[in-house]
Amino acid sequence: MGGCPNAMRGGREAGMTLILGLESSCDETAAALVTGDRRILAHRLAGQEAAHRPYGGVVPEIAARAHVEVLTPLVEQALADAGVTLADVDAIAATAGPGLIGGVMVGLVTGKALALAAGKPLVAVNHLEGHALSPRLADPALAFPYLLLLVSGGHCQLLFVEGVGRYRRLATTIDDAAGEAFDKTAKLLGLGFPGGPAVEAAARAGNPRAVPLPRPLVGTAEPHFSFAGLKSAVLRARDAGVHSAGDIAASFQQAVVDCLLDRTRRALAVADGATALVVAGGVAANGAVRAALADLAHAHGLPFVAPPGWLCTDNAAMIAWAGAERLAAGLTDGLDVAARARWPLDPTAEKARGAGVKA
Amino acid sequence: MELVIDTATAACSVALIDDGRIVAERHEVVGRGHAERLVPQIAELTEATPACTLVRVDCGPGSFTGVRVGLAAARALGLAWGVPVRGYTSTALLAVSAFAREDALDAVCVALIGGHGEMFVQRFARSPFAAITPLASLLPADAALSPEPLVIGSAAAALVAARGWGEAREDLPRAADARLLPPPWGDLPPSPIYGRAPDAKLPGAA
Repeated sequence: MGGCPNAMRGGREAGMTLILGLESSCDETAAALVTGDRRILAHRLAGQEAAHRPYGGVVPEIAARAHVEVLTPLVEQALADAGVTLADVDAIAATAGPGLIGGVMVGLVTGKALALAAGKPLVAVNHLEGHALSPRLADPALAFPYLLLLVSGGHCQLLFVEGVGRYRRLATTIDDAAGEAFDKTAKLLGLGFPGGPAVEAAARAGNPRAVPLPRPLVGTAEPHFSFAGLKSAVLRARDAGVHSAGDIAASFQQAVVDCLLDRTRRALAVADGATALVVAGGVAANGAVRAALADLAHAHGLPFVAPPGWLCTDNAAMIAWAGAERLAAGLTDGLDVAARARWPLDPTAEKARGAGVKA
Repeated sequence: MELVIDTATAACSVALIDDGRIVAERHEVVGRGHAERLVPQIAELTEATPACTLVRVDCGPGSFTGVRVGLAAARALGLAWGVPVRGYTSTALLAVSAFAREDALDAVCVALIGGHGEMFVQRFARSPFAAITPLASLLPADAALSPEPLVIGSAAAALVAARGWGEAREDLPRAADARLLPPPWGDLPPSPIYGRAPDAKLPGAA
């Protein structure tokens, strides 16, 4: 919990919109206040890592229990940090899906009740749109359209972002998300939870070429991602008993980087008019992933945009920002809006082989 | 003026209470639609009403999601209005409702559908209003040892079937009946009462 590098105190100028954002779709509970001119007045986050760590992954029921206890205190703290009251807020933005439905409902109903009591509009935000637009919060120069690699514990997609609410899905995972593969690898290697930072740390001491691991779907004509086979190969490598955890971690991370690069390169070829290559989502906090994507963007003569690490993992500032963008576009929602466990950003996208329909 | 929210069961129920008197109420059996229906219901109720000075909410046990929807709304309204939020148990509410309706009733057993084939059971006495047993999650065979002829709540029929005698009534909690709760039954902290620990098992645990 606590401050962020660009947090500011003391309110805002007259006429500038102020959005309260709420996030509770997975294992983070968060509240943030963001202005229409990209100032993050407050952001508060209560992670549940300690509660989930013994299980080696996020347990939906435990996540759902935690959100309801901490969300309103977080909102109070965020308002105090920013030196504002609900009356100063122009809209309430809350994640309405996709995600663990029990948590989503807590945040959405909290947002509805705050909107009702304060007499403010509600903006029901797609969590993925929060990630997709977060680079524009971090970088005012980032213009539509751009190619986005959204890579997190729940999602792995390539999206052509044409504008607010306008997304074309170019690729998705047909089995696990990349972040899920990191978590499962960390669990297999006994590195702890959350897996992303643990694998990255272990990989520093390892040789990325020591363990031969597959690169599922790399080089194929189909545009999608696949990580389930990679996870199984990690299990076999571990059970072979001849490799160090560091070597397996480093080789796994390299395999993920190779998959992400190959698929992103393929998408760049069809992303006509893209002004930048953008990465968002929790896996974008991985240094090796960032470095490789920066090189790829450079090779294509495109700027590479990656929000700071805290804005890549789940947070409420990105939800507030997506709320600001939607409010500016005149998009608000009724108090009867439903929470959605599954909510694709591009509902017209063809269903990928083997993939679920959650996003 | 007090706003009462009860979404712990299949009912989505809200009421405005002033000095023990029902000013307005909405009571709908929605099943699972609380997250969509609750806040519009509150909007209908509070539209033409002077400010509320207290929010009271059913903390459970009951529907895992419903309990948290009600608490999320109650806590948020408390924050936005700057008023206290208090809670009560679904079992106590059902018991006071039953006593209010039936003068001859001296004791009642409340049984709600729990998890894993168990039921949440609590027994109450009328005068003075008191819990005879603490809230417990019981298998039907153990729940069947309850001696009260009348059993109420979502698991009432199952308990009476397991016991082989008595009367079962599937009452749903009604927010307006919170006015009947004697202190301190309506003054719990606004936190969920799940009635069971999480189902998740630690890796390697039995």
